[in-house]
Amino acid sequence: MKSIHKHSGDSSIRTARRKDFLLFMLPSLIALMLVLAIPLAYSLITSFFDTNLKYQGLGEFRGLQNYIEVLKDTYFTESVLTTLKFTVCVVVLEFVVGLVIALLLNNIYKARNFFFTIIIVPMMITPIAVGLIWRLLLHSDLGIVNYLLSLIGISGKAWLADSSLALGTVMFIDIWQNVPYMVLVILAGLVTLPTEPYEAAAIDGASRTQSFFRLTVPMMMPTFSVVLLLRSITALKTYDLIFVLTRGGPGTTTEVISYHIYQQAFRYLEIGKASAMSYLLLLLIVPIAFLFIRISRSRTT
Amino acid sequence: MKTNKKRALAMLLALVMLFSLALTGCGGETAQKDGEQSSTGKTTLNILMEDVPDTSCVTALLDQFEAETGIKVNVESVNYSSMHEKILTQMLSSTNSYDIIVVDCYWVGEFAAAGWMAPLDSYIEESGFDTSVYIDSMMDMVGQVDGTTYMLPFYNYMLSLVYRTDVWEEQGLEIPDNMEDYVEACKQITANTSGSMAGAVMQGLRPDPIAMEWCNYLFSCGGDFYDENGNNIINNEAGVKALELYVDNMTNSAPAGAAGFGFDEAFNVMAQGNAASYVTYNWMLPRLENTDESSVAGLCDITPMPGGVSLNAGWGWAIPHNAADKDASWKFLQWVESFDVCKARAIAGGSPTRSDVMSDAEVLEACPYLETVKTIMEDSKMIPIMEDAPQLIEVLGRELSEAVAGAKTPQEALDTLAKEMANMK
Repeated sequence: MKSIHKHSGDSSIRTARRKDFLLFMLPSLIALMLVLAIPLAYSLITSFFDTNLKYQGLGEFRGLQNYIEVLKDTYFTESVLTTLKFTVCVVVLEFVVGLVIALLLNNIYKARNFFFTIIIVPMMITPIAVGLIWRLLLHSDLGIVNYLLSLIGISGKAWLADSSLALGTVMFIDIWQNVPYMVLVILAGLVTLPTEPYEAAAIDGASRTQSFFRLTVPMMMPTFSVVLLLRSITALKTYDLIFVLTRGGPGTTTEVISYHIYQQAFRYLEIGKASAMSYLLLLLIVPIAFLFIRISRSRTT
Repeated sequence: MKTNKKRALAMLLALVMLFSLALTGCGGETAQKDGEQSSTGKTTLNILMEDVPDTSCVTALLDQFEAETGIKVNVESVNYSSMHEKILTQMLSSTNSYDIIVVDCYWVGEFAAAGWMAPLDSYIEESGFDTSVYIDSMMDMVGQVDGTTYMLPFYNYMLSLVYRTDVWEEQGLEIPDNMEDYVEACKQITANTSGSMAGAVMQGLRPDPIAMEWCNYLFSCGGDFYDENGNNIINNEAGVKALELYVDNMTNSAPAGAAGFGFDEAFNVMAQGNAASYVTYNWMLPRLENTDESSVAGLCDITPMPGGVSLNAGWGWAIPHNAADKDASWKFLQWVESFDVCKARAIAGGSPTRSDVMSDAEVLEACPYLETVKTIMEDSKMIPIMEDAPQLIEVLGRELSEAVAGAKTPQEALDTLAKEMANMK
């Protein structure tokens, strides 16, 4: 800003350029407004009303009543806890497994692309299809998983119907699907690491574990934090797998927030309450998103 | 000057991009209008249907309709669980991409309250279509609401007990006349065969599979949702008894994973010959008799629920309030519900709603079990027609599943349900 004030001739060019810049931004800004900002604002408004899709208009103004009712709803608070449990478990496990696989891939030179392609496949399948495939595989009576287990003398379990196993099973399937994402991003980070520090460390007589913890981990920190945060955000919003695999059951053991919101909006048609729930979910996600933005900014500067 | 030209060009390009964006947004509508001709009405009709045998019975005959009227019909058949949302979003926009929809019996109250179905009375009167041929209970359920006809009954999916005649005979057992003895018999079969033959296969998935199945236990134990004065009686003694028996059967005679089965998975267990009985939709019987799908063809039969009262249910054809050409839609409804077409559908394994089709000699020869279905239907009950019925099914499914999972006792689960039902209308 200071330099602009000093050179007024310069500044007129800059403002002109800025105008051009705005002109080019405008179409995408308008599109973004249409698909993002307006629905967001609209749902914030509906969260204060008794809006129901069955009837025209917003309905009666309810103030904070929707939020109060939602927070009093024990099924909602339970679903928040289930979601947190799910998110922490899958993100940590996916990260650990993904890191191990990425390190292995980074250290092989023969057929790396071959293994990489195979590992990446689950990520390419849509979650709905993943859910359906696993539902068939895990069918307690006719599924192939229990059949294979029976061949080695283990009696199969009701993977999705037993209330003590269902959440774990869903987590396993989610991990199966999302480890490739971790591998992809972590491996991309590993490949770009400079080799000199490792050579220097080797000359100084550092062991492999030492160079991993002293060199790889610190240099990879920005990648790690980004991948963990992004995955946490998507895990908090998990819906499709639950919808296909368990519908929140048995009981309410796998009922996550997104499924609860879906029920409220598309089964009960109570958009007001559903919006309130969505905004509460947003409250969970926004801090993570801010952390993500801060970290990715500090990385570029 | 040069920069000005460049700037103008850039602006033009930006506008083109924006415009094309707007065009893609409207793509659905333009594509939809392709099928229309201004003078003779719509020449293509789109219908949203569930992927079930009755839908295939209709699609098999569509060429006939096209030959007669020149109107082409596209049937989009999808999984049940995504239908309600698909219909919902279309109902809220100004035009509907579906010209005809099928409505599940427990959506009727909601759709009628929202005004999403076009009244059919004037069309019925004008074309002289006779609605008195329908079985009364079908017309009450998926035909009229408060005296206005919104739907023509499409097919019935009343549930009842389908069982393996050979297994029950081998075990020296007969189908009992009450639910307690039935559950005991099922447990006995599972125990006798050390689990290789489940006494009953069940569908415990939330929300509709478990809710639909349990209603048969409820009605057959003498329970109901409301009494004749409209009082909520879901958690009375009969209701609790019904849920206790359901949980008992699920835990002690059904296959281990049954608490998470939808109807397809349960059907497969039955079709593979691993279960001796199955409370299910009556149209499952022709599927079980089909050697392509089932290894137990010729060994199954349908019988009234032990205790005698089944859950009656069905689908109706309706025209959306915002359908583009309602006359063309009606033309299809009239054809698909005509006697000949209904008869052909029934012979192909469809589940009729017209009494003249159900008692037709040729139909009965092809599907002798329809005689039993008709008598079961006479004593059956349905899920109350109410605005919040979809919510009722959702909450019912959740609470039943809670009881099956052992998170709540049957009494606690039904008490929670009763409490939430108090806020439903």
